[in-house]
Parts: sequence; C-alpha cells; structure tokens
Amino acid sequence: MKKVIEIENLHKSFKDVHAVNGLSFSVEEGQLFAFLGVNGAGKSTTISVICGQLRADEGKVTVNGHDIEKNMNDVKRNLGVVFQNSVLDKSLSVIDNLKYRAGLYGISGEKFKKRLEELCALLQLSPVLKRTLGKLSGGQKRRVDIARALIHKPKILILDEPTTGLDPQTRKLIWDVINSLRKDDGVTVLLTTHYMEEAADADYVVIIDGGSIVAEGTPLELKNQYTGDFITVYGVEEEKVKELNVKYEAIAGGFRISVTDISEATNLIVNNPRLFTDYEVIKGKMDDVFLAVTGKKLGGGML
Amino acid sequence: MISELLSSIKRNCKVYFKDKGMFFSSLITPIILLVLYVFFLSKVFKDSFVSSLGEVSCPDKLINGMVAGQLCSSLLAVCCITVAFCSNMIMVNDKVTGARNDLLITPASRWVHAIGYYVSTAVTTVIVCGVAGVGSLIYIACSGWYLSVGDVFLLLADIVLLSMFGTALSSVINFFLSTQGQMSAVGTAVSAGYGFVCGAYMPISFFGKTLQNILGFLPGTYGTSLVRQHAMNGTFREMISMGWDDSVISEIRDSVDANLYFFGNKVEIWVSYLVLILSIVLLIAVYVLLNMFCGKKKNK
Repeated sequence: MKKVIEIENLHKSFKDVHAVNGLSFSVEEGQLFAFLGVNGAGKSTTISVICGQLRADEGKVTVNGHDIEKNMNDVKRNLGVVFQNSVLDKSLSVIDNLKYRAGLYGISGEKFKKRLEELCALLQLSPVLKRTLGKLSGGQKRRVDIARALIHKPKILILDEPTTGLDPQTRKLIWDVINSLRKDDGVTVLLTTHYMEEAADADYVVIIDGGSIVAEGTPLELKNQYTGDFITVYGVEEEKVKELNVKYEAIAGGFRISVTDISEATNLIVNNPRLFTDYEVIKGKMDDVFLAVTGKKLGGGML
Repeated sequence: MISELLSSIKRNCKVYFKDKGMFFSSLITPIILLVLYVFFLSKVFKDSFVSSLGEVSCPDKLINGMVAGQLCSSLLAVCCITVAFCSNMIMVNDKVTGARNDLLITPASRWVHAIGYYVSTAVTTVIVCGVAGVGSLIYIACSGWYLSVGDVFLLLADIVLLSMFGTALSSVINFFLSTQGQMSAVGTAVSAGYGFVCGAYMPISFFGKTLQNILGFLPGTYGTSLVRQHAMNGTFREMISMGWDDSVISEIRDSVDANLYFFGNKVEIWVSYLVLILSIVLLIAVYVLLNMFCGKKKNK
C-alpha cells in the first residue's frame, strides 16, 4: 500500500511544554487511521503540523510524497480538514460559506453548483442551504464543516474530533459519510476521537500519551496485546461462578468473567457445560486497551 | 489567482456588512463627530474666525460656509482612518475564531488573503466614509455652498485616497494583533490620538515649530490638508472675487492648514498627493511582505 502521510521523529515544543516527542508513524492510502489520546496528548499539535499551520522543531512530514516544508502548496490541494471547532462564518449563510471557500480553490460557477449538489446529497444539506450558519444546530454545523472540507474533493481527510458533542443520529450520518467516501472515492481518513467505539472501526490505531506513541496496531492486535477476553454468562447463581476460581464481576442479569485469551475461555466452557448454557464470549474493548496502555480513561459513550 | 482574490474580497465584504455590530460601530464615528462639531464646535470655530478678521467685513454665508468646510474636512480626515481600523477588525476576528487557519489551508497564497483583507477593508471604509462625505456636503450646502463640481470630485477622491491610506496603516498595525482586547486598545488609541497628530482636531499651525516639523513627517497630515483645501476652496475663491487682499486670504489659509509647510517651505498640492500615494504603496508593500514572511508558520 502507498503511504500517503509519513511522519518521522516529529518534535514540537511550546516553551517548556513538549507537546510532541519524537512521533513517527505512517498512514496508508484508503486507510481509516485513528489517533487516540487524552486532551493535551499532542493530537491536535500533530495535525496542525501536517496542515502546515505549525512548524515542527524537528522531524520530517511528507504528504503524498511531498515534504510539507518544501511543497506545502501541492499538499494543500489534496488535504481536507475538519477542525475541532467550527471555523466557518457564523453571520453568513451555508451556501455563502461554501461558495467563498470553494472560490479559494478556484471552484466557481457551474463547477461549484455541481459540487454543491453532490455535497447536499451526501450530507443532507439542502434544507439548511440558505440559513445563517450561526442559527444552525451543532449537528447541522458539523455537516457544513465536513462539506467545506470536501468541497475540493481532497484525497486525504483529516477529522479532529468530528463527532464530539453530537447526537447519535448525526454521528451515525457522519460515519456513513466517512465510510462512503472511503468506499466510493478511496479517501484516506485520519481521525482523532474521544470515542473508543469509533476507534474500534479503524484500520489502524495509534495511541499517544505525553506526545509519544505508547501503543499502535490494528484494533484486534491492540485488544489481543493489551486486554484479555470476557465470557458473559447469564441466568446463573453467583455461588456457581465463584466455584470456577476466576476473576469476575456482576453485571445486569449475569456475570462477566475475565479470561486471558480465547483458549482459556474454550476450556472453561467445555469443562463446565452445565454452567455455560446462556453465554457470550467478547473481546476486550478499546477502552480497556486505552486504560491498559495509558493508565487513563477516555471520555465517550456508545454510538 | 484572480478568482481566489475575488472570492476572498467578496467574503470579507459580506462578513462586514452582515455583522451589524461591526458596521454600526464603523458608522458611529462619523455620526458622533458630526454631532459634536455641529452642536459644540461650530460656534467656537465661527467666533474664532470672525475675531481673526478684525475690521474686514464678511457675509454670514461665507463665514458659515468656511466654518462648515473646516469642520467637515476635519471630520472626514479622522473618519477615513478610524473607520478603516474598525473595518479591518475582520482580519483580527479571523485569528480569534480560527477562520484564519481554515483559510490558510487552502491553496490560495498568503498575499491573496492579505490583499483580500486590504481591498475589502478599503471598499467598506470608502462606502462608510463616502456616506459621511455626502452628509458633510449636505451640511456645507445648508451652511453656505461655494464648492465647484471639481472641488466635490477632488474631495471625494481625497476620501478614497485617505481611506486607502487608513486601510494600509491599519493593515500593518493589525497584522500584529491577535485578540479582541488588543484590537479595542488600538482602536481607542487611534480614535483618541489620530485627530490631533493629523491636524484635524486642531490646525497644525497652532502648534509650536518643532512639533509642526515633526508632524510634517506623518503622511496623514498631508491627507488632512488635501481634504481641507478642497472643502474650503470655494470660500477662498469667493474671497478673491470679493476683492480681499491676497495676504489676508493667505493668512487664513495658513491658519487652517489649507497651506501646509514642511520646515518652512510651502508644500504644493501635487507633493501632498505624492506623499500620500507613496505612503499607501509603501505600507501595502510592508503589509504584504509581513504576511508572506513573518506569519508564514507559527513557531509558538
């Protein structure tokens, strides 16, 4: 696979604060790449460096083979960015916001109209097109932010916590859009998020803490490496579970038993067939991975 | 590049006119000055002018026309600068809201954004000051009209030039600002101080020689003098036609800065224009270069 973003030994400090410490990773073409970390871990700083808004103290960043220090203009045409906070003009209408941003990419007239139609269909923007941005709900604004980032059909989409604070319906819509962009247009997505279940759908995950990578891999690799598996058993008495001499916790309607891996789970079930009549075996969650590697909990609910 | 530039200009203009607060805060400066001048200063100016004439008899209409010309020229000279600082808030607001970062990730060059801010601010300033100019002409017409068509056109041209100068000056200063607080502080300082240093609130001829020489180095002084000459030219012509002595007219012109001196040498009108135009070009060049090189990437 072609590497579209490559970061080597990136360092960035703000006075005495080392925001990014020797970060190295690469993002492959078409990949959904999740970048995890608590607030202040260095995610947004890294994104700002990739977008050319901050100068790295040390290290090399290449996007689509272009060194951003030398060829940022070539990089910009392929990059779409959705910032953490909406940066569009609140006093202007949605269509004006999109029109003026499109103009900065040299997109106007019929070309703009065509692209606008595509984005309206993709992000359900038609009903709000003529409304003032400041009067839209958080979810509607987010959709406009994404439309702005996609106005020039970028090959790489960078999303800095795109679903934070959104209602489940809007989050689902945004995820449908991201998946459709990847599937239909082959867009590479670099995502930072607080929601672990979103990271679980990524192709590759990098967890950073204190500006350095503390774990990386596919969600499955991370789960296998940093968490065990769980057997959830329903409709049994606690005394019977206790007799198994394993670590467990009570949950609604049953008990969650911790096992190191799937073979231990299999042995337990095979050796106690009367106990395991109604059960499920579940892999550890990304929350558990994050907690295991950083010792910190990340906020976020279920989609 | 042209379509990118046009897009940037249109966006900035629309943001300015859609933001009622920004638009009205720009308009309020000329309105306040006009009210202050008409209700508080016109009588002082008139009394001072009449007493300076001594035994020379002068019709009321001419005196009123002259005072109105002096008041309006002062108002316009100050407005073109303060309104420009107000209009140029978009540049700082974009830094505060993060919109600047968003604009800079587009392929449009930094100079395109810089010129986009400059042109849109100049356009909005000219519109607001143009409205103030029309109001001033109505006030002059009500007081005593002696202006020719040429004077009116030259006065409007002065407004455009001074607005461009104000925009260029505010662009260079605002480049270094990144918070609303800094913007308010600069706006207050400019509103309070500029009228004095450009000779609008008080003619430079009233100041000591040293201060007069120092103020001669400030381009705004030449702009004020141009506006004053064109707002009062009609009344001076009327004095000539009434057969007033040249020395009396020259003295009056000197006292209101309609004649400007640089280290004792009279500055011709074309020199004033040259100084103003060169200042605009120089300030724009500095502003674009600042954008191209100083703000390239944030290190901190």
